[in-house]
Amino acid sequence: QSPTKVTGKVTDAKGEPLVGVNITLKGKTTGTSSDVNGTYSLTASDANAVLVFSYLGFNSQEITLSGRTQVDVILEASAKSLNEVVVTGYQTERKKDLTGSVAIANVGEMKKQVVANPIKALQGQVAGMLITGNGAPSSPTTVRIRGIGTLNNNDPLYIIDGVPTKAGMHELNSADIESIQVLKSAAAASIYGSRAANGVIIVTTKHGKNGVMQANVNAYTALSTYNRRIDMLDAQGYGRVLWQAYVNSGYDPNTNGLRYQFNWNVDPVSNQPVLNNVMVAEYLDNAHTLKSANTDWFKEISRVGVTQNYDAQVSNGTPNGNYLLSLGYFDNQGIVKTTNFNRISARLNSDYKMFGGGLTVGQNLSLTKTREVGADIINSAIQALPIIPVRTVDGMGWGGPVDGMNDRQNPVRVLNDNQQNNYDYLRVFGNFFAEAKLTKGLMLRSNVGIDYGDYTSRNWQKKYQSGYLVNNVNKVINTQTHNVKLTWTNTVNYDLVQNNHRLNAVAGTEFYSDKTTSFMASREGFVLEDPDYMYLDAGTGIKDNGGYGAKNTLFSYFAKANYSYLDRYLLSGTIRFDGSSRFGQNNKFGTFPAVSAGWRISEEPFFKKQTKIFDELKLRADWGKTGNQEINNNAIYNIYLSSYNITAYDINGAKSGVLPSGYYLSQNANPNLKWEATTMSNFGLDFSILNQKLYGTVEYYIKKTSDILLLPPYIGVLGEGGNTWVNGASMQNNGFELSLGHRSKIGRDWSIDVSGNFDAVRNKVTKLPSEVVNAYGGDGRGQNILGRTFGSFFGYVADGLYQTQQEVNSSAAQPGKGLGRIRYRDLNNDGVINDYDRTWIGNPLPKFTYGFNAAINYKNFDLSFLLQGLGSVDVRNEAKLFTDFWSATESSSNKGARLLNAWSPLNTGSTIPAASLTDDNFESRPSTYFIENGAYLKLRNLQIGYTFGASLLSKIKVKALRVYAGGDNLAILYKSKSFTGLDPETPAFGYPNPLVVTAGLNLKF
Amino acid sequence: CNKALEVNPKGTLNEDQVATPEQAEGFVIAAYSQLGNDEINRAFSMYQYGNVRADDAYKGGGGISDGDVFHAMEIFTTSRPDQWNYDGIWFNIYVGIRRANEGLRVLSKFTQAQFPQLNTRKAELRFLRGYWYLMVENLFKNIPYIDENLPSDDYKLEPNNKYTRDQILDKIAADFEFAANTLPATQSQIGRANKYAAYAYLAKTRLFQAYKQDEKHNVTSIDAQRLQQVVDASNAVLASGYKLQLDFGNNFVSGSFENGSEAIMSVQFSTNDGAGRGRVNYGDMLTVPQGIGCCDFQKPSQNLTNAYKTGTNGVPLLDTYSQQNVDFVNNTVDPRLDHTISRPGAPWKYDPMRVVTEAWSRNVPIYGTYNSMKENVSPDCDCFINVAPFFGNTKARIMIRLADVMLFKAEALIELGRPIEALPIINEIRTRASNSTARLVKANGQPTSKYYVQPYTPGVNIDWNLDNARKALRFERRLEMALEGERFFDLVRWGIADKVMNDFFNIEKPSRSIYQNAKFTKGRDEYLPIPQNQIFWSENRYVQNPGY
Repeated sequence: QSPTKVTGKVTDAKGEPLVGVNITLKGKTTGTSSDVNGTYSLTASDANAVLVFSYLGFNSQEITLSGRTQVDVILEASAKSLNEVVVTGYQTERKKDLTGSVAIANVGEMKKQVVANPIKALQGQVAGMLITGNGAPSSPTTVRIRGIGTLNNNDPLYIIDGVPTKAGMHELNSADIESIQVLKSAAAASIYGSRAANGVIIVTTKHGKNGVMQANVNAYTALSTYNRRIDMLDAQGYGRVLWQAYVNSGYDPNTNGLRYQFNWNVDPVSNQPVLNNVMVAEYLDNAHTLKSANTDWFKEISRVGVTQNYDAQVSNGTPNGNYLLSLGYFDNQGIVKTTNFNRISARLNSDYKMFGGGLTVGQNLSLTKTREVGADIINSAIQALPIIPVRTVDGMGWGGPVDGMNDRQNPVRVLNDNQQNNYDYLRVFGNFFAEAKLTKGLMLRSNVGIDYGDYTSRNWQKKYQSGYLVNNVNKVINTQTHNVKLTWTNTVNYDLVQNNHRLNAVAGTEFYSDKTTSFMASREGFVLEDPDYMYLDAGTGIKDNGGYGAKNTLFSYFAKANYSYLDRYLLSGTIRFDGSSRFGQNNKFGTFPAVSAGWRISEEPFFKKQTKIFDELKLRADWGKTGNQEINNNAIYNIYLSSYNITAYDINGAKSGVLPSGYYLSQNANPNLKWEATTMSNFGLDFSILNQKLYGTVEYYIKKTSDILLLPPYIGVLGEGGNTWVNGASMQNNGFELSLGHRSKIGRDWSIDVSGNFDAVRNKVTKLPSEVVNAYGGDGRGQNILGRTFGSFFGYVADGLYQTQQEVNSSAAQPGKGLGRIRYRDLNNDGVINDYDRTWIGNPLPKFTYGFNAAINYKNFDLSFLLQGLGSVDVRNEAKLFTDFWSATESSSNKGARLLNAWSPLNTGSTIPAASLTDDNFESRPSTYFIENGAYLKLRNLQIGYTFGASLLSKIKVKALRVYAGGDNLAILYKSKSFTGLDPETPAFGYPNPLVVTAGLNLKF
Repeated sequence: CNKALEVNPKGTLNEDQVATPEQAEGFVIAAYSQLGNDEINRAFSMYQYGNVRADDAYKGGGGISDGDVFHAMEIFTTSRPDQWNYDGIWFNIYVGIRRANEGLRVLSKFTQAQFPQLNTRKAELRFLRGYWYLMVENLFKNIPYIDENLPSDDYKLEPNNKYTRDQILDKIAADFEFAANTLPATQSQIGRANKYAAYAYLAKTRLFQAYKQDEKHNVTSIDAQRLQQVVDASNAVLASGYKLQLDFGNNFVSGSFENGSEAIMSVQFSTNDGAGRGRVNYGDMLTVPQGIGCCDFQKPSQNLTNAYKTGTNGVPLLDTYSQQNVDFVNNTVDPRLDHTISRPGAPWKYDPMRVVTEAWSRNVPIYGTYNSMKENVSPDCDCFINVAPFFGNTKARIMIRLADVMLFKAEALIELGRPIEALPIINEIRTRASNSTARLVKANGQPTSKYYVQPYTPGVNIDWNLDNARKALRFERRLEMALEGERFFDLVRWGIADKVMNDFFNIEKPSRSIYQNAKFTKGRDEYLPIPQNQIFWSENRYVQNPGY
């Protein structure tokens, strides 16, 4: 045995040097660590010594020298290591100690998607978290954790670096995010008490890492476009259906008033009307300024969207403190012309260690400025009449309706005249903290969180003439809203590790206040419509103003303790005592307790004797209570409002000037209003087999919400004073969740990491107090939502179309029935179709949802994709109202091309009702005609990347360079055959989720 | 820490904070304010319910599907209880009632000593409550009646069949009676109701009450005692300082004629008042002709236009007016025609330089070329307000005027069997009509139409027996009050809605395709259905009107 000098280099899988890796000789206490280049050297006791490489966040490796003197090691990241520390609210816990349901999101995958809102990119990633959203440039997103728990605000609570927020995630630069945890079960979330009932999402931003100086630059550009659109009628097709509707209804088609003329006759043989020719006047108006057109309005408002993102971070970590500076720029020119979302963000996260680490002070601070131009135009563009031109003949004026046409605006004009109407939002978000380690294991922390928002907009209304639609007064409206949210948290943490006992406890208080002030000022009458001129002072016309204030506060006490014995038996308890300004004296405070326990079977000696394939096998159960206080700040009060526009009156007959104004009752008091409470029981099993060849979690939960806070609609005789907040129905969600993963390496070159999740949730309303028994639908005569899924559809059963006169004659009395009309089912068999023939016709909750994520690496190439889908779900296909009917909605608007195939005496057998001038059969009524299966499977994201090796890049001082290309929303792989619309994810209207193609690069210095 | 949780509401009042008489006045103002809080689909002028639903006007607009619920209403056969417009007007009227009730409830906390105006203000609120209840009663008949004494928790328990029509009209009359006895003869503020406004509405209420109906809306008898109350209340108004305008048209022009000598009570509109584009006449905004704005709703019917024809004896063709369409070149007409209805070739609103053309109408083949003028103004008026993309105006809208009350009295007298006493009243109105030609001239100085109106002279141009007097009164009422939201309710009161409407449909069907499926069903269509939505919220405590 002779001492041997060993040298080598430690890198990660991408070839990047790892700094500060601990290298020891097995069985010895001596060792060394790697330097800034990842290199090390040490002296081994003999040629067959075993080196142990360990590094936080990576799997440790043991290597036998076998006589070698040079050992280069690639350490594998252990993102799912059981020793991984998870932020769970006012404290951190080791993953293996968790007893509640906490899901850790795949942040790396999230960052691959081209969306302003990082949360939207988690769609399909977390079992039990249903994310929906549309494609508007700021990517508005709805998040539902474990079903619909309430009837008011179902949004989860976000905690970013300890600071709570309910909104504005599109203001967060995703490059700044280090990790995201989703607290799903009540035991995990109840530490956030009154705001935790919808689940809690904990976001931690990046920090400088000890001993690592790092710089990253990321850039991408993406193009987006519609992947599908609704097929609408063109000018000729509109004329054909128009003619059909007139003749079906027995009106002379040439009285249409829409500038269509028809050459038609009644076929002497079939006795049916026949259309020979559709004619359109060359000009729509007598002045010959509007030439009749065949405008594709949807095309006119659309473009290829362009998204650009650039961000850069520098960070460093030293024994005396860490810092991180991050800058970001995101700009999304949406696929609807003029729509845009733009974000500039800066973040400075730093901490300063004093007294040998005894005291740490620091801050996480982000400053973002967002700017958005929105447009709610898709619906109008789809329905605008194709015969109307975009512009007048001279190209200067706007096209618009004439005479008998409807009063809908030219969508292009609307976009054009509003393009300057953006808002600017400045948000300062972050926290300042001081942390003192008093004695071993005891730590005091004070944290002040701030969330300041400043919203400004200068909105103009321009003058216009668009057909007969006229605005002859221009106007500027300035709006400014300040919102300040303060969170002051003081906690004491205590950690104790003694023999086989491990205790980890926290207790504290928290004060939260949310204050808003807002004002608006407007003025009419500007001689120039110019951005440099349109300021309030330059106007000469009517002035107007408005404004409001709002405030609410919370004060809370809380404590949590986690205890583990032998790393095998885990126990945890939480209590939070929350007071809210929103409730009356008797109900100000609510108590939110939770208990949980875990058993790590895999650590039991008896179990280990049986099998060693388990890295982890943990059974856990928890129970807890959380709350919801998402009601109006003024909900408990009796309120009279002075609302000038509807309470003022010119009692003096002065015709102008300030008017006397009064008050009206707007709300009745409910001083007994109390917390809405959710209790959840959760049972989970975590497992990992053969070093994560297969790992996963199975969970089952029962979530019961009671006293749901609600402002129910009310009977008309109450007039304006009918609003009263109440504690309404109770409901229950039961759910099952499964997450599975697999990781493997095949040889040196291949690695595969796949994960999937599946969840199913069932919801039913379990109790209806008498005052709200009808607030959730039904017929008011005993049919109500009790025992059904909240939001279930109620209506008539459409029973096909009447094909023969005999069917018409022999069916139940149904006002407006006739050939080609929808037949409704006489459910109570009384021979009349009326209000009594309604029933529950659909369940809006998917039978199950799932996601599948795969990441495959081959040498320097990486490929990943994400699939996401829903099982059977009843959706109301709103689009049918205008794709399948001439008169279910206003009939002077454009309609779907499906109507060309509508039922007619010469086209019997069609399932699309005959076109008719008026909806005499009331086919727009809620019925099964509109309910379809919205199941789908989508390819959400696909990305292919290539990483250039460090050796290649060292000359240009670059540590790593990855280039990639990919896309979002690339395909609907499956949708139900019964779904007649385009995208079951957005069965109604709204900004479509675009198909996005991306290319970008990641650089590390 | 509890102190930190005491956060008061911002920018709101609670009941205790409304503690002084001055603050209590605010409830009265808000109750008045509701008079002008209508909107395009819920017009308190009742143009949709009183004119379009009757034989005076077609719905208008772009076509039958433009506001299709009103098309269903005007042809009756496809009218449904779940139409959103019925629910909408029901709710908006009850908002007015609630405002009045809330005001009365708050005022009841004060004493006369604290608040010298207390009784006057209470009387104004009761006046307003009566106004709303009369409107909702005439629309829906079987309605829940709620006053300021019912706790709001019990509102939904109140059924719509607790009181008969007669009992409800009695309660309404009680409010007007109280107001008539309490209010001063004049109010310093023109917008407030005074004693005579209350008497006028009392007369109107008692007149409706006089015609007793059975459950199927048949008029079963006419109550002489009620008729006498109409005469008495009308006499109180006639003895006041209110006078017929010298020119009929003065009632319908903006400026100094507003709130004029004939207007007993009007809704006040304003602009440049701090309320956006102003508190303008949103309810009637869509009846502006296409030629000067949008959207050409409320198209006067051919039948109404024909009614203005006069014979060689200067009186209307009571039985034969609709046999032939009026020929403006050869026929003589009542001047009220050109104050009420515009047509191509005639000046708009007395401006000889602004001549109406066919292009002023949106859908000529369906709805013709007539436009409604009374509620409209000249586009040159600074009272003509662009509320993009529509146009409203700030002309005060007359709720009730002296001629209306005179006709109530004449009607009551005739039904009391005293037609001789009714004759001078009707003739006073006819004489005024005859004198109302000064404004009706074309650019060449010639009269817009050939005018010839004579008073009824028994034995000369009419045999003034009871039947003829009744016929003449009803005809006069149509001519005088046309397009002022009254016609349909008159027909129902008289118990002749089915006959008049079905005759009208038969006459118009050949040229008006909109009426091809129209039919008035007696015993049902006199009233709107109780809104399905309200039956739902009442948990079936409301009973649907017969036939629906």
